[in-house]
Amino acid sequence: MRALVLCAAIFLAAPAAAQQPPAADSGPQHPGREVLMGKCFQCHTDAMWRDHRAERRGWEAAIHRMIGRGGLWTAEEIKLMADYLGTDFGPDAPRAAPPAR
Amino acid sequence: MRELVVQYLSDSISRRGFMKGLTKAGLTVTAANAVLTSVSSVTQAQTPEPIPPAATPPAPAQAPGAPAAAARGGTAAIAGVKQFQGSGGACFAEQLIASGVKYVFGNSASEDAQFYEALVDRPQLKYILTPHEGPGAAMASGYIKASGEPAIVMQAAVVGLANAIGQIFNAHKEQTPLVVYSYRTDQTRRAGRDGFEEVANQEQIVQPITKYTWLARRPDMIPEAVRRAFKAAWTPPHGPTYISWHSDFNDERVRTDIIEQSHFDPRMRVRPNPDEVERAAKLLVEARMPLLIVGDEVYKAKAAAKAVKLAELLGMPVTQARQAYANFPETHPLWVGNIPAGTLNSQTFPKNYDVVINVGNKFQHNGPAPVVPRGPKFIDMRIDRDSMGNVMLTEVPLVADVGLGLDDLIAAVEGLLTPALRQKAAERATEVRRFSEQARAMRALVANNPEWDESPLIADRLTHEIAQFADQDAIIVHEAGSVTLHGFDFNPLGGRELFFYYGAHLGSGVGMSAGVKLARPNQQVICLVGDGSFIFGPTALWNMARLQLPVIVVVYNNHAYSGPHSRVIANVPGGRMVQTGQFVHDYLGSPDMDMASIARGFGVDGEVVTSPAQLREALKRARTHTVEGKPYLLDVQVARKGVGWAEKPWIPPIQIAALREKKV
Repeated sequence: MRALVLCAAIFLAAPAAAQQPPAADSGPQHPGREVLMGKCFQCHTDAMWRDHRAERRGWEAAIHRMIGRGGLWTAEEIKLMADYLGTDFGPDAPRAAPPAR
Repeated sequence: MRELVVQYLSDSISRRGFMKGLTKAGLTVTAANAVLTSVSSVTQAQTPEPIPPAATPPAPAQAPGAPAAAARGGTAAIAGVKQFQGSGGACFAEQLIASGVKYVFGNSASEDAQFYEALVDRPQLKYILTPHEGPGAAMASGYIKASGEPAIVMQAAVVGLANAIGQIFNAHKEQTPLVVYSYRTDQTRRAGRDGFEEVANQEQIVQPITKYTWLARRPDMIPEAVRRAFKAAWTPPHGPTYISWHSDFNDERVRTDIIEQSHFDPRMRVRPNPDEVERAAKLLVEARMPLLIVGDEVYKAKAAAKAVKLAELLGMPVTQARQAYANFPETHPLWVGNIPAGTLNSQTFPKNYDVVINVGNKFQHNGPAPVVPRGPKFIDMRIDRDSMGNVMLTEVPLVADVGLGLDDLIAAVEGLLTPALRQKAAERATEVRRFSEQARAMRALVANNPEWDESPLIADRLTHEIAQFADQDAIIVHEAGSVTLHGFDFNPLGGRELFFYYGAHLGSGVGMSAGVKLARPNQQVICLVGDGSFIFGPTALWNMARLQLPVIVVVYNNHAYSGPHSRVIANVPGGRMVQTGQFVHDYLGSPDMDMASIARGFGVDGEVVTSPAQLREALKRARTHTVEGKPYLLDVQVARKGVGWAEKPWIPPIQIAALREKKV
């Protein structure tokens, strides 16, 4: 029988030392970005979601799913992150170029 | 005297003649009796002593369990040691009983006929027929874990063994004392011709994933092999063992010793080195922010209360890296939550720990960074000495049974605590308590998800409803790999218990929960399992129905392998799969599997649940069933969430309809 490894998110996580947060853009930053940078990358990189595009509600739901996996944020922090992601990673935001092979 | 012993061992003289010779040689009667006892024991343990084959079917020469000594004119009795004669299969059964085994989890094997024959007159040894060896082994593991009692898994030679290997692997990773037997045919009188079930060196197949493998070289050595297997499996650190012997041995008639478990249990409960204990205590009391990580050895040693006491003495926060059990009460104010990702760096609190003590956690390092980063002083207390010091720099190793180790460490800490240090600990406890209360409030925000009331359900809603529903002392068997549990407030001190998995060979959950219920019939048992995992091992549902094991099985059915889906995207971000939506490896729908129908096929009632409102009613029906002694399955439709999921996922265009030229 095959052994599939369907593990919890803890197995997904890249080590903190290897995390690569999104490159900083020039100009003023959304306040939610700062929260996201400080609160998410202790567990994982952005590789899992940077290609994802969704309305704000979808991002808010995604952040709430991370609470079940151990993420700890205040309601205000959740709001700020959802605002940021819904803006910069909304349905019409351009996707990053695929990595070079 | 040597000549006398030789004559006696070769049956050239009788017992009476042997005794007479000994006293004539100058021994007292007492001394002669001691020699006789010793020699008799050697005879039985070391000498192949075939008994003429009985008629077919073999008529028992005497009542089952009758001492072989009768045939030899009797020997001095030793408490817990019984001389027995009968078939190899009967010897096997006798030794299992003497080893404390009540349940045998097996799948049919004709070469074990004499063992089955022996069971007829030994009702205390119960054989549970499992329709597939994998879930059968998982069931045995669940029983062993929940009861703390020995059990054995047996199956047909290599063909059955191969099916059980996945769960042996899990037992290996989780350090479960699972004893496995299968006969072999590669060295029997029929061997050497590439025959049926014949494979060379069968035991080597499982050697890397067992603690110990052993072959009985003669039929009279079957009980000794069995004893070795149980001794090795149950000597800490626990682990699976494998024994085997030629199938012919089960049919041969021999006489041998059957020995009770207490005579071969080394009772290895090790206290730590006192000097190291003092060093550890000093580090802990002088630490600015000590941190306690607990692990499965705490649960196995029933030492959770001691872990609580140590934490309270020091006002020390407590966490846990992934393990099979919950090892600390999650409602305790010093509990700061499980480590969310692979390392302590992912913890929100504390960040300033300077001394870390691990009690009983084996750690599963899944990346280059160790679970405990370098920097803080690290104290490691475990009985699993082989995995200590391999990855983490260890300041103080404490090789010990963690129950005894905690006793000693608590005493040492108490001896060092001055009023000033106690005050410091109290202040730290206040800080930890403040964080725990905040964290608890933040975790409750999971229910603010804007998709909370949607259908199909989000996984967190299902988890929440189960946590609301479960009894306060329920046992949760968890094999929903992509689901992280929350809201259960597990508590090994009389509250809800967790039986998670560590090895990740799928298909363990249903069997595991059946075994747990077998061991703990008076506690509610709920099995949480993903659809991908469930479909690897549903056959244990049949065991639930037949044995009247009222387990509630909840399938998180999102018709997908969610974990591999997410990890593939993480491994190839922005790749062609994401761009095109073509994932070949993760979608299990079209057609959708109906787990409730599968359950009915095994004799278990169940239903498909699609909405939160329907779920609550379904849970009531599940409870009604279990109260009546019947298992119940809920196939709960769960939404696929995350990057790259389409409303209707792409499926590879592999269909042969266009290729068919004949309607056959």
